[in-house]
Amino acid sequence: MSIAAFVLIGFMLTMYVLLDGYDLGVAAITPFVARTEREREGSMRAIGPFWNGNEVWLIAAGAALFALFPKAYASSFSGFYLPLIIVLWLLMGRGVAMELRSHFPSEIWHTFWDACFAISSALLILLFGVALGNLLHGVPLDAQGYFTGTFARLLNPYALLVGLFTVTALALHGCTFLVMRTSGPATERARRLAPRVWFAALLLYALVSLATLIAHRFELSWTAAIPVLTLAAFAWIYAAVRGGRERAAFMASSAWLATLMLQAAATMYPYLLPNLNRSIPGISIFDAAPSPTALASALTVTIAGLIAVLIYGSYVTRRLAGKVSVGE
Amino acid sequence: MDVVLADRLQFAFTVMFHYLFPITTMGIAPFVAFYTIKAWRGDREAETAAAFWTKIFAINFAIGVVTGIPMEFQFGTNWASFSSASGAVIGQPLAMEGTYAFFLESIFLGVLLYGKGRVAPALHAASGVCVWLGSWLSGFFIVATDAWMQHPVGYSLGADHHIRLTSLPAVLLSPFAWWQYLHVLAGAMVAGGFIIAGVGAYYLLSRREAALARRFVYSGTITALVFSMLAIFPTGDRNSATVTAYQPVKLAAMEGLFESTNGAPLAIIGMPDVHNRQLIDPVFVPDILSFLAYGNFNANVKGLNAYATELWPPVELTYYAYHVMVGLGTIFVAVAGLAVLWLVRKRLYDSRPLLWLLLLAMPFPYIANEAGWMTTEVGRQPWIIYGLMKTADGASQTVVTGETIFTLIGFVGMYFLLGVLFLYLTLREIGLGPSHEGVEGAVAEVRA
Ligand code: HDD
Ligand code: HEM
Ligand code: HEM
Repeated sequence: MSIAAFVLIGFMLTMYVLLDGYDLGVAAITPFVARTEREREGSMRAIGPFWNGNEVWLIAAGAALFALFPKAYASSFSGFYLPLIIVLWLLMGRGVAMELRSHFPSEIWHTFWDACFAISSALLILLFGVALGNLLHGVPLDAQGYFTGTFARLLNPYALLVGLFTVTALALHGCTFLVMRTSGPATERARRLAPRVWFAALLLYALVSLATLIAHRFELSWTAAIPVLTLAAFAWIYAAVRGGRERAAFMASSAWLATLMLQAAATMYPYLLPNLNRSIPGISIFDAAPSPTALASALTVTIAGLIAVLIYGSYVTRRLAGKVSVGE
Repeated sequence: MDVVLADRLQFAFTVMFHYLFPITTMGIAPFVAFYTIKAWRGDREAETAAAFWTKIFAINFAIGVVTGIPMEFQFGTNWASFSSASGAVIGQPLAMEGTYAFFLESIFLGVLLYGKGRVAPALHAASGVCVWLGSWLSGFFIVATDAWMQHPVGYSLGADHHIRLTSLPAVLLSPFAWWQYLHVLAGAMVAGGFIIAGVGAYYLLSRREAALARRFVYSGTITALVFSMLAIFPTGDRNSATVTAYQPVKLAAMEGLFESTNGAPLAIIGMPDVHNRQLIDPVFVPDILSFLAYGNFNANVKGLNAYATELWPPVELTYYAYHVMVGLGTIFVAVAGLAVLWLVRKRLYDSRPLLWLLLLAMPFPYIANEAGWMTTEVGRQPWIIYGLMKTADGASQTVVTGETIFTLIGFVGMYFLLGVLFLYLTLREIGLGPSHEGVEGAVAEVRA
């Protein structure tokens, strides 16, 4: 059952990356593709109805981690105290900028909020990536499973590399979404930006893979099969972007991100918090889980709830999906 | 300052600020749903009202969301020992809040805000109801979480002192949770009623929007009256009864009762002097406290002297918070009752003094709601989980005072800015009025 719980958390985080990933990505590329206030407004409108629902995947995943693996929740959240609070502040900045922008009457305010929005989103992506990098790499834990390092420790080169890769990955995802959901001058620029971001992502992916291999001393396991899928999806994105198939490009980019999440989960398994100090084991899904009764009931109610969410969520998304067109 | 105090201050500050917004969303969500449905049925005036209240709702919601996320994470960051011990139980209602309530509310708010003209009118109308349902459900799950901390049920203690869940239904169906929830809803609806009425009164006083303003005043005052009565009876009364049964020390502190007494009097006013264990300048109503607590004028009510001082909550804060809530609760019935009486006599819309009263009443339900939570939470001390875990043992061990103070200062700064923004935007929308098309209208052509 711990494994089912691990899969569930992984699924929720993957949904988060696929969904909130595109609006974070759109926010991060908007300054590069939208020149006028009008065009920026168009990007905001494309994600406006969805971003909040998307963000709930993160909140729900956090709460599910609390219910399913309380020890891991407690140790990681208190261990990464400062970075997490900074993530919270950035989430606040982004949410406020997104929602309150349209209530302000003047252009100066709009420019201000657009900048807030882009900067906080880009930093969020970077921090999420750095967090992921640390999880893959392992964090220093003491025997009780509490974090013993410092903030600066978390900003190690490997984690920063993963962070940069994440920025390019979500920027690419954002490009494909923007191309799919808007039309206008900004869309054209996003279309032209996509292949360039793609190459940057490819380069960083290669570097991250190399660094991971070195860190793991070239020990390969069955998970070595996943990169094959990743590369296939990656090639598919390129083909779709070049071929002008907008929906396919977005689907490909989603599939690609999903394989990356799978890879990350496979690398970490069975640990939720791998210990950098290899002499003490990290917090595994078996240590962190509560009693079987608790696990069973949490799994049942969460899965039932999520099925309902997926049903009405996709229904609503289909109803609201239309192109936002921005004139000159 | 020790780290537990810093953590408590941070929690208290952030949750009290957060709660200001759910009060409003839970309180006006039914009105948003009501006007949206009316609009769908072809009521043009209601369409304007729906658009207006949806805008106010959305501003509120945005701030509610951004201040709610830190709450969710704070259990882990600041209260790691508590979370690690009790997550199996506490985490469940919180996870359900995410999956059952937040998704519902957020996804359908997207439809409500962006769907007009884009989705079928019936779906648009239904989304108003879904948002309402979502906000009330989220209130339930969070109150169920809190109620478990007040009165733990459905668990067993493992050998390692870890708390194991034995029954999720027991947690969700706990009577403590249900009375608390109904009382919270009543409190939010009192706020909702006074807001709708107050905004209506504002337009009537400034001689604008006459037709809509009357509708607001009408439904607002009636809602305020009905729910301020429900806040006292049965929900407030039942809440006192559960507190009497499960947390007698809290009751003694709320009432400022230092000595156990037969036929205990109810202190209407008076200032507790904890050092000398007495109330200063009290005004008592004889025997009433015994009656309220046990339904018997002669019953023995245990005073604070029956308990060790280590188990006392901070008496002054609990006492004043409780008296502020109850005092305001009584005043609300009077104000709303007077307004409804004038409404029945068809003189309310022209009575400027009463309209002024309604306008000025708007902030007070917030104070009553916050005071109620102060009573509940401060009165729970020194326990974080009543009878099971002390607050001092719940804090994170790896986080030091300096860090918490740094983030506390950060939160105070951010929330100050948020508060200013919120007030500016809300007052601006109210000032522009329902008939104003708004910025939204100006960019309407930006879509396919
Ligand atoms: C407009 C809001 C409002 C009004 C008018 C009242 N309350 Fe209240 N009260 C709340 C809003 C509230 C609240 C903020 O919603 C609380 C906090 C926790 C809870 O369950 O509800 C609360 C808590 C609360 C508690 C503490 C429960 C606990 O510790 O678990 C008691 C005993 C009462 N109330 C009783 C009353 C009585 C006897 C009232 C009669 C006038 C009253 N309340 C009016
Ligand atoms: C319903 C969900 C809630 C939960 C699960 C909850 C939980 C907690 C926790 C974990 C603490 C810190 C430990 C402590 O000092 O007791 C706390 C303290 C506190 N909470 Fe709550 N709380 C909730 C709602 C609220 C609300 C809505 C308010 C007020 C608006 C509130 C006001 C406070 C205050 C004032 C403290 C500090 C107590 C003190 O200083 O002694 N709480 N609560
Ligand atoms: C410790 C206490 C609390 C936590 C952890 C918490 C958590 C959250 C979170 C994460 C959100 C954002 C939801 C979204 O993205 O849509 C939120 C919003 C909300 N919370 Fe809280 N909250 C707390 C206290 C309360 C209390 C006491 C209530 C009411 C009884 C409440 C009612 C709501 C409601 C109705 C919303 C919807 C958004 C809004 O209306 O502003 N919360 N809360």
